[in-house]
Amino acid sequence: MTGALMEARGLTRRFGSVTALDGVDFDLKPGEIHCLFGENGAGKSTLASILAGVIAPDDGALAVGGGPRRYGSPADAIADGVGMVHQHFALVEAFTVLENLMVGLPGRGWRPDRAGLAVRARALAEDLGIALDPAARVSTLSVGERQWIEILKSLMEAGRILILDEPTAVLTPEESRRLFAMLDGLKRRGLGIVLVSHKLVEVMQSDRVTVLRRGRKVATLATADTDPGTLTRMMIGASPPPEGTQAPRAAGAVVVETRALTSAESAGGVPARDVSLTIRAGEIVGVAGVAGNGQAALFDMLAGALAPASGEIVIDGARVSPVSPTEMMRRGVRCIPEDRFRQGLVGEMSISENLMLGRHRAAPFRRGPFVDYGAADRVAANVIDAFRIATTGPQARAASLSGGNAQKVLLAREMAPGGRVLLANQPTRGLDVGVVATVHAALRAKRDEGAAVLLASEELDDLLALCDRILVMFRGRVMAAMSARDADVERIGALMAGRQPEAAA
Amino acid sequence: MIRIERNPAPSAATLALSYVGACVMGFAISALLIAATGYDPAEAFGAIWQGAVGSQTAMIGSLVKATPLILTGLAAAIAFRARLWSIGQEGQVYAGAMAGWCAVLLVPDAPALLLIPLALIFGAAGGAGLGAVAAGLRTRYGVNEIISTVMLNYIIVYLLSWLLSGGAWGEVGATVSYQQSPPAPEAAQLPNFDDRGRLHLGFAIALAASLACAALIARTPLGFEIRALGGNGEALRRRGVDVGRLTLVVMALSGALAGLAGIGEVLGVTDRLRGDELYGLGYAGVVIGLIAGLRPIGVLVAGLFFGGLANGAVFMSVLSDAPAALAQAIQGVLLISILCGGVAARTRLRRTVAHVG
Repeated sequence: MTGALMEARGLTRRFGSVTALDGVDFDLKPGEIHCLFGENGAGKSTLASILAGVIAPDDGALAVGGGPRRYGSPADAIADGVGMVHQHFALVEAFTVLENLMVGLPGRGWRPDRAGLAVRARALAEDLGIALDPAARVSTLSVGERQWIEILKSLMEAGRILILDEPTAVLTPEESRRLFAMLDGLKRRGLGIVLVSHKLVEVMQSDRVTVLRRGRKVATLATADTDPGTLTRMMIGASPPPEGTQAPRAAGAVVVETRALTSAESAGGVPARDVSLTIRAGEIVGVAGVAGNGQAALFDMLAGALAPASGEIVIDGARVSPVSPTEMMRRGVRCIPEDRFRQGLVGEMSISENLMLGRHRAAPFRRGPFVDYGAADRVAANVIDAFRIATTGPQARAASLSGGNAQKVLLAREMAPGGRVLLANQPTRGLDVGVVATVHAALRAKRDEGAAVLLASEELDDLLALCDRILVMFRGRVMAAMSARDADVERIGALMAGRQPEAAA
Repeated sequence: MIRIERNPAPSAATLALSYVGACVMGFAISALLIAATGYDPAEAFGAIWQGAVGSQTAMIGSLVKATPLILTGLAAAIAFRARLWSIGQEGQVYAGAMAGWCAVLLVPDAPALLLIPLALIFGAAGGAGLGAVAAGLRTRYGVNEIISTVMLNYIIVYLLSWLLSGGAWGEVGATVSYQQSPPAPEAAQLPNFDDRGRLHLGFAIALAASLACAALIARTPLGFEIRALGGNGEALRRRGVDVGRLTLVVMALSGALAGLAGIGEVLGVTDRLRGDELYGLGYAGVVIGLIAGLRPIGVLVAGLFFGGLANGAVFMSVLSDAPAALAQAIQGVLLISILCGGVAARTRLRRTVAHVG
C-alpha cells in the first residue's frame, strides 16, 4: 500500500509463555485517526509500544515512510517523527512545563536553548488552542493539563505520527472533547494518529479502526462502515452479557451513616468535607464527580484506611471507634480500592494468595496452625473459572495480570460472603466493556443479596444504570443528592463542575 | 546490541549454576590476591580446606563457628522478608548475651536444668526487646528502622563495654583494653555433643530454628502476613491486618533469633561475657541472609559455608604464615562474588538488533 506513513507486517511479541501479539498487520495513512480497539490484554498497548520503539517485536517487519525500520529504542522512533503519549505520564513533577519539554529533546548539547524552546512551545500551544504557561510547575497542574504537556512534548520531538495510549482515561468529559478537537486539527495538518482505546464513543470518532482480540487482529474497518454493536461483538467474540433489569425494591434498614464526616487537610489529595450520607441495605448509592474531588478521602475513611479529622461513622446503629481497617473488616465493610495494584493486590503474590488475603486465618484457608494453600488454590481455580480470568492458573503472580483481570480478582475477593457493605471507588476505570459488565453484575448481585453499596464513578452512564440514589461531589463536599429516577444529566454535569444550577429546587 | 533484562523467576538450574560459577570466580580472584601478596594459593587453599573439613575436630570447629551466623542470618532473613530493613542483629546479639548473663547473675547457684533454659529465654527476650524498640519507633513515630537499629547497635555495644570495663560486670582487674566478665558457673555452660570441639546446644538450636523458620514462612498465617507485608503493606493493611502489631512481632522474632546467637556464644564458647567475641556476628548475618536469598534453608547452607571458611581461615594463618587479614579478604571476595551470582541469576541478556534504517 503506497502512501502509508507507517506499515507493519506480521508483528509478533511474546512475553514468556504468553503471546501478546500474534502476526498483526497494521498501516497508518497521513491525516487519519486509526483506532486500536480491544479488551484488556488484547495486545493494543503492546502493538502501540512496538510502533513507538518502546519494545522490540520478536518477529515481523515495520516500515515508516516507505523505509524498513528496526527500532532499538524510543529515541530511534522519535528521530523518525514517531512520538507516543503513554497511559501513565512520565513527567517530572518538580520541573516546570518548559523543563519537562526539554527533557529528552535530542541534539541540544549541554546547554539547552531555553528561550528558543519557550517560543516554539508557546507558538505550538497557541496553534493547538491550549492555554499552558511554560513557567508553571507540573505539580500544580491538573491531570488534563499534564496530558497537554505530554502531547506537546511528543509533537515537538516527533511531529509526524502521534500514538496515544488510552488518552482519555484520566480526563473529564469536557477535557476529552477538547482533546478530540485538537486531534482533528492535527489530522488536518497531515499527521497520522494512532489512538488506543476501549471506549466506543472515542472509537466512533476515528477514521479507521483495527479490532484486536487475544493478540490477533480481528479486522480493520472504516469507522463509517461499522457501528458500536458490531465492534463490541468483534472485540469480545460474542454478544455482550445483557444488563440486568432494575426492578423496584423496598429499601432496607440504614446500614451505614456518616455524620459531618471530614478528613484532615494534610492527608494529601482533596479532603472530604462535612459529608453526611446514609446507605440502606439493598441499595446502591452513587457518588458522581470528577475523580480527585474528595471521593478517595471519603472511601478511605469508610474503609478505615484513613482516620477522620472530625465527624463520625455509624454502622448498624453503632458508632465505629477507632476507625481502622481491622474494625471495618470486622463489621463487614469490603472495599474495591481505587488503585488496584497499589492498594488492593500484592503483585509478587499469586492469585490464590491474593484471594486469601485478609481471610487467611479463617476457614476454609486454615488447617490447624497452618495455611491451607491447597484450599486456596481450589478457591482460586473456581474464581478464575467463574470470572473468566485470563491467566495461566492460580499460581500466576498478580502483577502479571492485566487491569481488567486484576479487577476481577479484587471483585471476587471483596464480594465473598460475610461482607455487608461494599465500597467501590472508580471500579470500571480503564476497563473494557466486557469487564465493566462483570463489575456491574457483581455490584447488582451484592445489592440483591441485601448489602449496602457505595459506588463512585466518573461515568454517569454507570451511575444512572446502577444506582438508586446519586450524590454529586465537588471539592470535597456533597453538592446535591437525588433519586436516580429523576436525575438529570445536565444538572449533574453542572454540579460536577461546581455550578449550582439556579433552577434546581 | 545486547540488552539486560530482569528475570524475576529463575529456574533452579540457573540459580545453582550462577552460585557455583560465583564461587569458582570468587576462589579464582582470591587466588590472584594470595599470589599477589607473595604466598602460594594452592598451599593457602589447602590449609583452609584442612581447617574447615580436614578432620573431625576441624568439622566440629566449623559447625561451632557456623552456629551464630545461622541464627543472625535467620534474623535478617525474617525481617527482610517483611521488607523491614533491620540492621539491628549486631546489637541484638549483644543484648541477648547481656540479658542471658543477667539470668546467670540472678540465680548463679541454680542447677543447670533451670539455669540454662532461663538464660536462653532471657537471651531471646533481650534481643527481642531491642528489636521491639526499633519496631515501636517505626510504627509510632515513623523512624526509619535502618537508622534506629544502627544507632541502637552503638548504644548497646558501648553499654556492654562500659559495664565490663568500669561498671559492675567486669572481672576484678579488668581494664579498658581488656574487657571480660568473671567466668560463668559450670552449671551455666551449654551441654556439648562432643567434648573435644565443644559442639554445644546452640548448634541444635540453630538447626531447629532454620527448619522452624522455613515452616513459618512457607506454611503459617504469620509467614503469609510477613510475605504480604514485604510485597505490599498497604494492601495487607486495608484487608484488616494490624500492620503495626505485625511489625512488632516480626522485629521481636528477628531480635530473639539474634539474641540466641549472643547467649549461645557466651555460654557455649567463651564461658564468660566478652564483647570482642561477639563483634561482627550480626553484620555477617545480614550478608548471609542476603546471600541466601532470604530463604531459611539457604541461610543454613550459607551459614555452614561461611562457618567453615572462618574456621579454615584460622587454621590457614596458623599453618602457613599467611596473615589472618588475608583470610578476611578472601571471605570478603567470596561474599561479593556470591552476591553478584545472585544478581546474575535474576537477570538475563537479550540480543536486540540495532537500528539499521
